[in-house]
Amino acid sequence: MSPRTGPSNSFPNCHHLSHRLFGMSQTITKTHDVSIPDFFSAKTSYFIRITFATIQSIPNNKTTRTAMTTTATPSKPPASWALLQIPKPIQTLFNKFPLVTYPSNDLPLRTQLLNSSSLPTLYIFTTEPDALANLPSFNPTCLKWQTLLRLTRTPHRVLPSTNHASPTGSLPFLLPADSTSSPSKPIPASRITNHLSLALPPPPTAREETFLSLLTPIRNAFLYSLYLLPSYEELLNQFYIYPSTSSSLVQKTLRYQLRSAAAASILQSKNLHPDGGKEQIDEKEIFEEVREALEALAGELLQSRTEWFFGRERPGEFDAGVFGYLWLMLVYMGGGLGQVVREVGGGVLERFCRRIAEECGWDL
Amino acid sequence: MANFLGTEAPTALDGANTTSNPPAHHHKAYKASTHMLDEHYLTPASIASIEVHGATNTRRSLLNHIFNPLVESSSPGSPSTLGDVLGRLSVATRKLSRFDIFKEDAFNVFISEAKRTESVLPTNQTELNISISVKEKSRLVVSAGTDFGNVEGSAYTNALFRNIFGGAETLSVNASTGTRTRSAYNATFTTPVNGNPDLRVALDLLRSTTQKPWASHEEHLTGGNLRFSWLGNAKNETHTLTYSSIWRQLTDLYPTASPTVRADAGDSLKSSLTHTFTRDRRDNPMLPQSGYLLRSVSELAGWGPLNGDVSFAKTELETSGAVPVPIPGVKGNTGISLGAGLRFGLLYPLPLGYALTGPATPSRINDRFQLGGPTDVRGFKLGGLGPHDNYDSVGGDVFAAGSVNMLLPLPRTDTDSPLRLHLFANGGRLVALQNQNKSSEEKAFLKMGSNQVFHSVKSAVGELGNGLPSIAAGVGLVYAHPVARFELNFSLPVVLRKGEEGRKGLQVGVGIKFL
Repeated sequence: MSPRTGPSNSFPNCHHLSHRLFGMSQTITKTHDVSIPDFFSAKTSYFIRITFATIQSIPNNKTTRTAMTTTATPSKPPASWALLQIPKPIQTLFNKFPLVTYPSNDLPLRTQLLNSSSLPTLYIFTTEPDALANLPSFNPTCLKWQTLLRLTRTPHRVLPSTNHASPTGSLPFLLPADSTSSPSKPIPASRITNHLSLALPPPPTAREETFLSLLTPIRNAFLYSLYLLPSYEELLNQFYIYPSTSSSLVQKTLRYQLRSAAAASILQSKNLHPDGGKEQIDEKEIFEEVREALEALAGELLQSRTEWFFGRERPGEFDAGVFGYLWLMLVYMGGGLGQVVREVGGGVLERFCRRIAEECGWDL
Repeated sequence: MANFLGTEAPTALDGANTTSNPPAHHHKAYKASTHMLDEHYLTPASIASIEVHGATNTRRSLLNHIFNPLVESSSPGSPSTLGDVLGRLSVATRKLSRFDIFKEDAFNVFISEAKRTESVLPTNQTELNISISVKEKSRLVVSAGTDFGNVEGSAYTNALFRNIFGGAETLSVNASTGTRTRSAYNATFTTPVNGNPDLRVALDLLRSTTQKPWASHEEHLTGGNLRFSWLGNAKNETHTLTYSSIWRQLTDLYPTASPTVRADAGDSLKSSLTHTFTRDRRDNPMLPQSGYLLRSVSELAGWGPLNGDVSFAKTELETSGAVPVPIPGVKGNTGISLGAGLRFGLLYPLPLGYALTGPATPSRINDRFQLGGPTDVRGFKLGGLGPHDNYDSVGGDVFAAGSVNMLLPLPRTDTDSPLRLHLFANGGRLVALQNQNKSSEEKAFLKMGSNQVFHSVKSAVGELGNGLPSIAAGVGLVYAHPVARFELNFSLPVVLRKGEEGRKGLQVGVGIKFL
């Protein structure tokens, strides 16, 4: 701080006026009489950034909260807090407050649709009208679980959502029906079967396990077509890009991110470096492999003594998983992969898909 | 160099001949000028020359904007007095200092009487040579540091490029990382318009990741703002008009996130136009004891050509004031003051596009208001008021909040000490729009007709007055540092709604804006 001397004193306010038009507007008044060193502005911006800080000094805060909300929270272990227990008179005072407690505020409009459901809710990629009618999702994994719930006649509803909402980072997930005892926690896809105790056929045998690997080339071909083939760009937009945002710049960014993720996923499944870029992917190989896989599936289905895979009486998780991909190929990729599905095994796979759709009540 | 007036004054404006310390003869001149000030304030005077020393990196055109009007109004032959000249000079130097490119404590103005040249006809006017010496602030300031608070610790680096093109343009680049604001990058380019330090335009690019524990999620922001700022006509008034386009991504939900937060997860682009008006006539913003503050923020998002994914009109009004309390028998400032503050906010959903009557989408969590916290409605947790879904504060579309407080000097301190005792009571209501039309079909589609929006907003505003507001009261210590205010309060909630999160006991607040 330097004393203000010199001739300029004859001009009032010349010095201590530091009115900033931008950011924080601040006047250094005569009372403080500070000159402004260079670091000052940096410090100023710091204080703009942190505008609050709180400490929690009352250990019984949790108890207060339980008293205020209808939902019960697990009781706290009191032992570790014993030393910090508040003196009795203060505790008595605290217990008197709040003096008045009103009923809770109503939740915003967007919530009301999502809350207070007596049914478990499956969050999937879909559109609002399709969700209302519980029509098939356009995402293979979402469609698999949606199909399973329908096949097992589990009462549920579906809602459109995005990967950001999911606890695992990808859809689908299930939100259990509202119960008064505890706030419902989301169930990731891998635990849906256990959670709902779905009446599924017995777990797959070792032989059947090997068929799971056939899903990889099918998945690769589906990803490759939808995300990396320019001819399906419009489909990709309709599925994943347009519902997210109307901004073309954000759409471009999202599309780029999705495409990179799809390429990385395909490369990873082929034990190549995921950052290799889509140039590393051999398109011919992708489509040869999917045909082989589909032929193997068709062969298995032809050998089955029932209409479902592995001679089961009822379709199970594997059937739903296959249906998830094949149905979308048939419906949306009629000229490409859909054509292959129709051709192999004399159309046995297409008939299989129609049976599943029928079982699910999708009259399509 | 052709000087402003073409006299024989030494040239310095082009920066070739800059001096950081004024030469000795200026001191003599100063003595002469003070003498002159006393005796000849009303004598006719004009400006013979103006020199600016030390503005090495500043463009001549910028200085012209400041000094040309001064020179034109005080040129030889004009009917100006010494008082006029000094007044105008004071205005001009203040303007110069507002560019924020010169060191505040190195401003010096020297005035001397110009030598009469033979060719000029003798007049009774005193001609003045004016010499202004300035020191430019360093053009590049790089700083780094750590910030801490009780719930946030962060480290930052900041680079400030001042006066980049010589026209008082500033570029500030900032990067920080912390526990709550996990990362933030920000670049702001600011320039005065037409050489006027009071009219500025700024372009701001930002990218940040912030944790929002009160609503169990993280928000990623990427976008930009274009901002015009100008001073109002009256004293201490500022206006800001901002166009902003920001991609918000609500992601990384906590496992306990409520369905409300899950429903709003994902991407949205907000394209909006915001006008902010501030009239700050408080004696001290950190410790107001007299005067008042008026602030209004009006935002229009998504409607008409703005586009984007969200559409609404949002307005927020804030006023606060303080009066000193006199004590009979005590002369002068007692150090006791009474203050009050009032805030009100409203979000009105609009249809996207140009229609006024089409279906509108209800608000999202990142557009709704949050209320409560140590610098807001004290005695509540951050976002402690309003609708709560489980433990998530999901915000509301309409709010009103108010506070009364009394500042008292502590015993054995000066009446102007920055440390005070304060008593306060504050409260508020935060209400979300409700569906007036209970038909399940419309609910399912998450759209509201314009009639329905109107009735919902009307009844939400009515709901503000339903029962007492949620209130907390307490007592605390206030420390007003010139850059921020610190509070340590003990408070108890008096009126609450179920689900709202009050805080019993101690609470610390640090900030520059308090209710």
